[in-house]
Amino acid sequence: MNFITKKAPIVNNSQRSFKRSFTLHFSLIVTSIVTVVLKALSNLDNPGELAVRAFFMILIGALVSVIVEVVYAYSEKDITKFKDYKGYVNPINTGILIALLLPSVTPIYVLILAVFVGVYAGKLVFGGYGFYIFNPVLVGVLFAQLSFGAQLAVFDTPLQLLKEALNGATVNFNVLDLFVGNYEAVAIGSTSVILLSIIFIYLLVSKVIDFRISGTFLISVLIISFGIGFINYYVSGDFSGVFDYVLVNMITGLTFFGAVFLISETVSSPTSRETKIVYAVVIAVLMMTVRVLGDNTEGLIFAILFGNMITPFINRTVQRSNKKTLIKTLVISFVFVLFTSIALGMILQGKVEEVYALVGGVL
Amino acid sequence: MLEFKDMIDRYGKVVDHVVIENDKLYEKFQYKTYEKAITTAEVRNVINDFGLNKISIDGIFTNLDFNANSKFVVVNAMFTNEPFISTDYEFLIKHSAEMADGIELLSIAANAEKTIILVDKFMPEEALLELGKEIVEKDFEVITIDSKKVDARDYKIIKKLVNETLSINLIDNGVVYTDICAAKMVHDAVRLGIPVVTRKVAITGDALNINAVYETRVGTRFTELVEDLGGYTDITNMNLHIGSFLTGVQLDNDDFAITQSVDSINVAEFRGVDEDVCIKCGDCNDICPAGILPQNIMDAELRSVNSRIVDLNTEECVECGLCTYVCPSKINVLEWVRRAKRRVG
Repeated sequence: MNFITKKAPIVNNSQRSFKRSFTLHFSLIVTSIVTVVLKALSNLDNPGELAVRAFFMILIGALVSVIVEVVYAYSEKDITKFKDYKGYVNPINTGILIALLLPSVTPIYVLILAVFVGVYAGKLVFGGYGFYIFNPVLVGVLFAQLSFGAQLAVFDTPLQLLKEALNGATVNFNVLDLFVGNYEAVAIGSTSVILLSIIFIYLLVSKVIDFRISGTFLISVLIISFGIGFINYYVSGDFSGVFDYVLVNMITGLTFFGAVFLISETVSSPTSRETKIVYAVVIAVLMMTVRVLGDNTEGLIFAILFGNMITPFINRTVQRSNKKTLIKTLVISFVFVLFTSIALGMILQGKVEEVYALVGGVL
Repeated sequence: MLEFKDMIDRYGKVVDHVVIENDKLYEKFQYKTYEKAITTAEVRNVINDFGLNKISIDGIFTNLDFNANSKFVVVNAMFTNEPFISTDYEFLIKHSAEMADGIELLSIAANAEKTIILVDKFMPEEALLELGKEIVEKDFEVITIDSKKVDARDYKIIKKLVNETLSINLIDNGVVYTDICAAKMVHDAVRLGIPVVTRKVAITGDALNINAVYETRVGTRFTELVEDLGGYTDITNMNLHIGSFLTGVQLDNDDFAITQSVDSINVAEFRGVDEDVCIKCGDCNDICPAGILPQNIMDAELRSVNSRIVDLNTEECVECGLCTYVCPSKINVLEWVRRAKRRVG
């Protein structure tokens, strides 16, 4: 008989972090399956081949990730973690996510390298799950994109078409196609927004992701894209394109996928409510800036990694949470988003110098 | 009297105990009693003289100390405690008249502007009816709390009531917060002249053969109660927990005496759930009723950054234990915050 004084016997709270990992795991598997099926049904060139490729990429991504983790655990002489399936959930999640973030034309060796770099350099060297500062998924994908840009190039994605449309080309988007994911996607995971919305709600309810991050991000993207579209078409006087601009920015590309699976990744995101809002707004603004001004049509990966980078800093700026700070944060964030949307719209139209001249000829 | 002895008290601290022998004579000594009309000073005197001021001390309950500052009396009439302790409402149904009178006495002692009774949403109707009958003509406000949601509702109600930042001791904010058993004891002391000689203790848990609610004399050794309950079952690793589950203390020894502040004791099998690594979800930061950031404090404590711990207002922690409760990784966050407090305190 012996008395242990470790912790109060609290058992009523059923929230467990491994349960959240399992929920994410389940959602990812569902997403993968539906994505592969949608690919097979799409009207792109060789839909069957694309679907098979996507399926094998997801499989290989998960497999390589698990192998890297197990080999590392062997080298550390501690494999107790891999005794049951619980230990495999997080490695598999990382592998699937990396595969989903690469286009279906990716050569297999690029995928394997991406997973290796993501899991080893992004996760294991920091100490594994719970300790990394950069989202390992994005580390792997960024490595692949920077090193193998030519192999990963995808043409005529909706966002690229949109850029051409802003430059004067006529592009017609089929709204139904956009909703079911029937378009040239920059990544396998950039799929039907209906599926992603269902999973978004499911993950929100099961508390895996946080609305203060994902929701703020989506709302910010909506406001910024609407502002840019509005200013652009205000100049030409024809407002029919605004809807297309907002829609393409919101539901294609990685916007929704990022909101569901990448931004709310808890370990590399801030912890208090004000900082979560700031973090989401920074990512949204940065992403739209890259999309509008940069060569890259898809700025999400850079943006989230930048957000991860400043997370320790913004965590350090808060001292306590109170209503006043929250309202202040919300107001400042909203003003910042509005300002960004107007500024980006102006820059895109080459109106910056006119504005400066209007202010008083600073330039 | 037998001897002086060093024993642990209910907090696990070693203090001087006087061991006395029961001569079983039970002579009754009648103290002065008071009739209906009573002044503030008289109630305060009785509470102090009879040692009633330290009855309920778990969580954010205050001592029954009154001063010119006292403005509000909040009485908790909930009998729930998770996960194994659940007290029936028999006590409340039987003594509702005394309790209502006790609450009135407390409100007189505090010169209260407002008296609030907190009741449980899932309270049996009979108990609610009995209590309601007694307080219907009195000027009390009744607030219902959903006890299934653990989110420091009482703290939030008091915060709204006071409308200022709460300090660690609610007395500084002019609030006297206690439970309904304390109200009954105040009634007994003032109207019947009985000091705190007995205490109602709920003894529960699967490490004991029988669970029971005892009315025990103050000073009884817990080991004697265990003997009376038929001893422990054969479980090797046990967890002895005194008081509320979120805020109580655990002892490594069962040889302590019941004092007037012990309201529940739980002896259960140790169910150590594995701690996972902190996933930095921020649930503890969201729920903290004091509005500080336990996760960030824990992080600072892990890295031993004193200035950061001071910056994060660690001293405002009321040690309610909600951060530990909500943690999905089952980390004992409160313990880390306590360590941080001690480091800079």
